Amino acid sequence: MVALDAPRERLAGDRRHLGRALAVWLLGLLAVLALLSLGHGASGVSAPRVLLDWLAGHEIAQTDRVVLFDIRLPRLLTGILVGAGLAVSGAIMQGLFRNPLADPGLLGVSAGASLGAISAIVLGGLLPPAMLAAAGWHLVPLAAFAGSWLAMVTLYGIATRQGRTSVATMLLAGIALAAMIAAVSGLIIYRADDQQLRDLTFWGLGSLAGASWVKLLAAGPVIAAALLVSPFLAWGLNGLALGEASAAHVGIRVQRVKTTAILTTAAATGASVAVSGGIGFVGIVVPHLLRLLAGPDHRWLLVNSALLGASVLLVADMISRTVIAPAELPIGIITAMIGGPFFLWVLLSNRRMLDG
Amino acid sequence: MKLEARDIRLHLGRSEILHGVDLTARAGQLTAIIGPNGSGKTTLLRALTGEITPTAGHAMLNGRDVAAMRPEELALTRAVLPQQSMLSFPFTVAEIIRIGLTATHAGQGSESNGLIRAALSRVGLPEHAGRLYQELSGGEQQRVQLARTLVQIWHPVGRDGPRWLLLDEPVSSLDIAQQLTVMRLAAEYAGQGGGVVAIMHDLNLTAMFADHVLLMQEGRAVAEGPPAEVLTDHILSGAYGCSLQVNHTPPNGVWLLPQGAAL
Amino acid sequence: MIGRVICAAALALSSALSAQADPHPDAQRVLAIGGSVTEIIYALGQQDRLIARDTTSSYPSEAQELPDVGYMRALSSEGVLSVKPDLILSEEGAGPPETIAVLKEAGVPFETIPSGTDAEGLAAKIEAVAEALGVPEAAASPVKALRADLDHLAEATGDEGQPKRVMFILSLQGGRVMASGQGTEADAIIRLAGAENAVQGVEGYKPLTDEAITSAAPEIVLMMKRGPEDSGHAAATEALMAIPAMAATPAAESGAVIRMDGLYLLGFGPRTGQAALELHDAIYGGA
Repeated sequence: MVALDAPRERLAGDRRHLGRALAVWLLGLLAVLALLSLGHGASGVSAPRVLLDWLAGHEIAQTDRVVLFDIRLPRLLTGILVGAGLAVSGAIMQGLFRNPLADPGLLGVSAGASLGAISAIVLGGLLPPAMLAAAGWHLVPLAAFAGSWLAMVTLYGIATRQGRTSVATMLLAGIALAAMIAAVSGLIIYRADDQQLRDLTFWGLGSLAGASWVKLLAAGPVIAAALLVSPFLAWGLNGLALGEASAAHVGIRVQRVKTTAILTTAAATGASVAVSGGIGFVGIVVPHLLRLLAGPDHRWLLVNSALLGASVLLVADMISRTVIAPAELPIGIITAMIGGPFFLWVLLSNRRMLDG
Repeated sequence: MKLEARDIRLHLGRSEILHGVDLTARAGQLTAIIGPNGSGKTTLLRALTGEITPTAGHAMLNGRDVAAMRPEELALTRAVLPQQSMLSFPFTVAEIIRIGLTATHAGQGSESNGLIRAALSRVGLPEHAGRLYQELSGGEQQRVQLARTLVQIWHPVGRDGPRWLLLDEPVSSLDIAQQLTVMRLAAEYAGQGGGVVAIMHDLNLTAMFADHVLLMQEGRAVAEGPPAEVLTDHILSGAYGCSLQVNHTPPNGVWLLPQGAAL
Repeated sequence: MIGRVICAAALALSSALSAQADPHPDAQRVLAIGGSVTEIIYALGQQDRLIARDTTSSYPSEAQELPDVGYMRALSSEGVLSVKPDLILSEEGAGPPETIAVLKEAGVPFETIPSGTDAEGLAAKIEAVAEALGVPEAAASPVKALRADLDHLAEATGDEGQPKRVMFILSLQGGRVMASGQGTEADAIIRLAGAENAVQGVEGYKPLTDEAITSAAPEIVLMMKRGPEDSGHAAATEALMAIPAMAATPAAESGAVIRMDGLYLLGFGPRTGQAALELHDAIYGGA
């Protein structure tokens, strides 16, 4: 028996304390941003003043109530869930595909979601009126969610033989499927009138402007469930960094990890894209930055991705709401505008990480 | 207690790779699997680890069928050192070794730090815990992987029997001093009651450390037994397809054997 | 959950259907959404009550000095509320629906003005805006002017014999001609001006193949003015005529390219009579 000396002393190369410290810090940041986001907006309604008035027993003006509780609050919660969902999905996909550039797009989720949205926007009018009335203006998010799942299930089916999912097959089939989906989308877009085309463009740019309690209640639980499952993938994804064979040798149920990872990601991404349209870069930039700060250990990476992803989206949303107020800049433009150059900078200063 | 291959046949695609291989490796011994390239050594080891399921025959670990054991159970009974490891993210050495603690659920506690330090000392890298794995040399990376397999089954004998170290060419990218360190470590593990099965290319190190040798050729076991019985001129020449002589010193020139090393 | 969704959807639909505008004579902070609504408000002389507009409201130029709440189909609820409107007048199709639902929830009156592309529809549009602003009598003068323009137009058209074939080109990207088929504002204004849309059998704005261009054989090409008048237009005309299929058309031979302001031409507001007349004169070379 080797003496297991000095258990309290920190082990070199053990970065868990960094992850933990970062989590505390990010939680604080998110809390501050949430308060700022709730308190600020184009309308100048001040959250603290309304709250004080309410505590003092005054009647709250209807506009104030609507701005705070029907506009800013659901939007804040949607932003937090979507940001966390996109960043965690990115981190999981990168772990599963063992590639820091992987994103849920590889599952065909994004392509499927956009096909769903395009179909709903352009062809929605062809549905029987009763169905149209039932779906109402939730047709686009519902179709996007259905499209993302259909694409993911198809890919998963193609890549799984005898209970084993081949990640490499999935990657290649994903490219083929995305190309086919793009072709079908193109076909549908050809039918679109110019108003539908503008709707499509705005949908593709992503926005939280359509956040509402109804949407939040539909998509929120799906994203939240995915977020709650994600920490259980941490050991599995760490093991997969050594390759599938070694992961199995250290006792990881590799197939179960893969299936869970794929379902979790498809759920979170599908629901996020459905409520907010296409918001890029969060899923790649956030996990990458966190790996630089506290290492790739998924036990903290997944949690911190959720926190930082939510924060990034809140900041982007605040910019989107205020920079050209009273109009609004689609949030996808902002995440891409900040995310693109930042990502390039990270790549150039850390080439070794990608080559390794 | 034994690790056994019983008449293992294995197909990859249409062709049969293993044509009914038997092997009996005993706990307390270092068993070496030797043979020319492409003779099926690694495939046999993969069947023994449970990574691939044989078309026919069984791999038996401490009397139980490997195919029927859960990944966690297997992980607590045997650890595997792969021939080469690709790593996808910039983990530190300490983080890599901690992955070996997945099945023991000891990875979170502070006592695991001591275990990781001890494993690094045993592979001769006591100061490397904080280094990034991807910045290490090939030999250092291989020893870090060995440390990871060691922490997984740290005690050679557990409550329900011996533990097993399965090594696929453990010394392939090491210099001679490191080769000796690693082989001594493996022999020591066997000496304390654990089982070791290693695929070997170096016949000198095999002769020096193995207690039991399996020689493979074209998917069959052609000889099995103590080194002195398997490592003969006739058997080796036949298996490797060239004329080989054991215990034959060259008439001139410089030559060197690991047996002559003193540490 | 599903129940709630259906409920909310039904609510949104039913409120969208009640298009008949209620009068709001006391509204002093009016937000106009849609270029034609803004134009009508100016034509009614009610611009003092206008406090904000959407991106499509670019005429008259004073309107551009008002705060812009964004593109009419991608409005932000808080952005709209921040200009503190006490009445929102909108063309059909403002959105997204979630935003409209929240605005109604906030208690801001939201009136949708029905669209129209013929004489009666346009007059009804002006009257609906006047009605919503609580000044029905103010509609008389712009409606009269509109009708006068349209009567003038009716006199001018009809004696040309064979109507001329006009092709409206929305854009010219990389040599690809995006032209208007049926069911568009461009189609409506061409017909109003007494001409014929050269592109038949196509719905909406579509890229045309070379053969479709040749068989459409437009005698006149109609395009939108982009930015200030400058040499850019000459270059664009040259690029257009350089397309082989285009060069074979009668329009290329006579060099007949008409350019008009987009909102003026396609906005279907109070100036539409004038615009159609101007287009007619440009096509037939009248007075």
